Amino acid sequence: MSEHKPTKNIESRPPKACGWMAEFTNEHDLLEAAKKVRDAGYTKTDAFTPFPVHGIDHALGIKPTILPFIVLCAGLTGLCTALLMQWWMNGVDYRYIISGKPFGITPASIPVSFELTILFSAFTSVLGMLALNGLPKFSNPVFTNPKFDRATNDRFFLYVDSADKYYNRDSVRELLGSVHPTSLDEVMEDSSPAHLPRAIWLGALLLVLAGLIPAAIVLNMRASYSDLPRWHVFFDMDFQPKKKPQQTTTIFADGRSMRPQVPGTIAKGQLEEQDPFYLGHDPLKMSLADYRRAVFVSATDQDPPAEEKPADQKPVEPGATAPVAPTPAASTPAASTPAVQGAPAAPAAGDGGQAPKYAWLEKLPIEVTEDHMNLGKVKYETYCAACHGYSGFGDGLVAKRAASLLQDTWTPPTSLHADRVQKQPVGQIFHTISKGQGKMASYASSLSAKERWAVVLYVKALQRSRNANIDDVPVEQRSSLTTAAVPNGAESK
Amino acid sequence: MATIASSYNPREIDNTEDIPGRRAPLVTGNQTYSSVTEMVCRVAEDPQPKIWWLLFGFSSLTAAMFLTLIAFLICKGVGIWGNMNPVFWAWPIVNFVFWVGIGHAGTLISAILFLFRQNWRTSINRAAEAMTIFAVICAAIYPGIHVGRAWLAFWLLPYPSLNLWMWPQFRSPLLWDVFAVGTYASTSLVFWYMGMIPDIATYRDRSKTPFRRAVYSLLCLGWTGSSRHWMVYEKAYTLLAALAAPLVLSVHTVVSFDFAVSQLPGWHTTIFPPYFVAGAIFSGFAMVVTLLVPMRKIYKLENLITLRHLDNMNKIILATGSLVGLAYGTEFFMAWYSQNQYESFTFINRAFGPYWWAYWIMVTCNVISPQLFWFKWFRTNLVAMWIVSIFVNIGMWFERFVITVTSLSRDFLPSSWGYFRPTMFDGLMFFGSFGVFMTLFLLFCKFLPTIAISEVKGTIAAAEHADHAQAELLGETHGGHGHGGGHAHGH
Repeated sequence: MSEHKPTKNIESRPPKACGWMAEFTNEHDLLEAAKKVRDAGYTKTDAFTPFPVHGIDHALGIKPTILPFIVLCAGLTGLCTALLMQWWMNGVDYRYIISGKPFGITPASIPVSFELTILFSAFTSVLGMLALNGLPKFSNPVFTNPKFDRATNDRFFLYVDSADKYYNRDSVRELLGSVHPTSLDEVMEDSSPAHLPRAIWLGALLLVLAGLIPAAIVLNMRASYSDLPRWHVFFDMDFQPKKKPQQTTTIFADGRSMRPQVPGTIAKGQLEEQDPFYLGHDPLKMSLADYRRAVFVSATDQDPPAEEKPADQKPVEPGATAPVAPTPAASTPAASTPAVQGAPAAPAAGDGGQAPKYAWLEKLPIEVTEDHMNLGKVKYETYCAACHGYSGFGDGLVAKRAASLLQDTWTPPTSLHADRVQKQPVGQIFHTISKGQGKMASYASSLSAKERWAVVLYVKALQRSRNANIDDVPVEQRSSLTTAAVPNGAESK
Repeated sequence: MATIASSYNPREIDNTEDIPGRRAPLVTGNQTYSSVTEMVCRVAEDPQPKIWWLLFGFSSLTAAMFLTLIAFLICKGVGIWGNMNPVFWAWPIVNFVFWVGIGHAGTLISAILFLFRQNWRTSINRAAEAMTIFAVICAAIYPGIHVGRAWLAFWLLPYPSLNLWMWPQFRSPLLWDVFAVGTYASTSLVFWYMGMIPDIATYRDRSKTPFRRAVYSLLCLGWTGSSRHWMVYEKAYTLLAALAAPLVLSVHTVVSFDFAVSQLPGWHTTIFPPYFVAGAIFSGFAMVVTLLVPMRKIYKLENLITLRHLDNMNKIILATGSLVGLAYGTEFFMAWYSQNQYESFTFINRAFGPYWWAYWIMVTCNVISPQLFWFKWFRTNLVAMWIVSIFVNIGMWFERFVITVTSLSRDFLPSSWGYFRPTMFDGLMFFGSFGVFMTLFLLFCKFLPTIAISEVKGTIAAAEHADHAQAELLGETHGGHGHGGGHAHGH
């Protein structure tokens, strides 16, 4: 083992004696002997037994260990770690919004906190035990005695160390001899070389270097660029046995993976593409060129341009700063336009005729009933009033809030009582609700077609109410209107 | 297989009788300290019997098949299993809960029975702890490969991610599970290892070859048996036991939260934590009996793992089996008492729906078969108890199957109902996990101390001490110590 470099001092001097060791066949003899040794004043003593002997701590004068306190501290550390971790990770750094549940420390933090408390304590118990015992310790003078092998089997050893301040070789020998041990030996220093053979060092070094190779490759790849496709160590879902549009296939005779519609079938929702009820205009009444433009607009999801430009250019509609709505009686009769009477909207000249000329519906496709009016009112107040305001002046809560914050990115909502809007046919208002307009989003996913028509009805009623005079009110209700200080504009019968 | 052999096996001594005023011996056959050492070390030192090689060959092949199938699963995806809408939590989760449940007996025996000063635990705790570790390994494999992209399973842990910039969701029971099972596995491992240190030192000191000696020296960290070390060691062991006891109860509680915190009928019940813990102890003890009955026979350990030990374990199986039966009944009662139509439907569906066969296998194996242990003949007959323990293992697997699959396959919306069918891979991989378990257990028998030698010696010493004290109390006079209770120590 030590053929490489036998250390000189080991060869030159005889091994040093470390103490005396007495052997006993049972724990009772050991206990008696231990008490004698303790009473003689020795403290650097130890007993080696195959199992923990009851009473040996008292017999040898072993003090209680401080391990429990260390473990308590570790447990508290684990608890704090768990709480801090959960508070920071889920309460501060990355908040999950789930059903409005609170962030940070909640009763849901208990399981992980409990587990980490146990984890820290348990590992501290074991590692603390090893540390307090000075383990691992592979070189120990007691192992030099071959008899000591039975210390883990059926023999009990009592040991007095030469480091003891009362240690005297002969008197210790005499004392231990007086308790009738099976054997009594002097424990010698472990003379085997303390260093590992060079081959083991070399092997360990090579292993460490080999272990660094993958890390080096990863670091290199993170720091460098390459034009090559990436390595697929794991395929994840990058390669899936499926066909995408525009790919070829051998399954079908025409070689196309994207399939044309089977003749004689109608796809889901296809009928709605032609139905004025869902469009707000009648595509069959459009010129072919306009129809194509409309299809293009719808397919590219662009706003119909041109006509709405004025809205963006003059955002000085009453909007957020609108004063108290004028009473119906005060509004000018000149502006009064019957709801379903306006001329077909002419597209503005702005985009050189690129915008399709829609054949807007002039008449509501739903009946004007109180049910529809109420439905429109409910939906309007749910979805539209937040921006456009309950009376339609573009003074909803959101608009007021944006105005008070002086948001320069904010486009004030259009007043529904603007001339331009008043003149729009019902189909166009429906189209605006369905497709969105400017900053306004589409409400087709929130409102069914029938509900959108009901909202159109309600908007028309709102517009009518702003431009009506007292003669439009049924005679029996006029008195209630004239006495009301601020009439509720949204009510129109 | 083993038979009740007290008539012709000299080691098979019936020590299950309780004699009033006398402490029943924990080990039989006038054991001394050296005879205990000899008996346990022989397991590892003697050439392994033929049956060991047979079992090892079979189970290591099965384990190899399992690993191959895992590789195939990773290449191909979890679609090779039968998991399909609406039952996405199928066998992988059933097997996970099954194995974690089995993994409860070891630490329970080591920790809770230690705290209750049940000295009979000393003969069986080591093997049970080893079984715990191996069962938890089998359990941990399943969620690891069930996540789909198994190579990203480390996403379960809270680590500062360079690519995700996010943390796990600490309000999710599945994350609690990661912490609970992780803590349980690592704590059980150090508990098991720390318990083995003195016994590995015994193996070291009996080693005949330098290589063997070097390996065991490294493993036992230079243990000398110093009394100063023993004092700290015992304190650490007590602390670990006190820490592991609530941990055992918490682990299956958290596993049950995986189900109970969701809002599926049949899962969303407060009875789940105690019900799962009782079931886990039940299945764990059954697995200990399944393993120890052949093991004590093969390695001739009948004097250390006596009939009394088996009798005690069978009593625990009876108690926990009855608890589980009570839980089944309570579930039905709550389904009726809650007047919740979904809950009622779920339980009627369990017993009489398309999975009626699984439900009644479960009830037969888990509730009816352990009732045989009311009779002493069944508790002390090796063949009978072994068969009942196998029944319990089967029943507990079906319990998890019934809970997981029946609830998922028929929930609120009849249009989304389905019927789960496992594939060949489900079956082979479940079978393969037994291969891993058995391979590890057989290697453990061959290389590590299967019985806590030092603790058994401590028990012998304590029993002798107690007998001595009792004898003095009764005024009996003895020439010396070490006569009572069939024990003696080497003079």
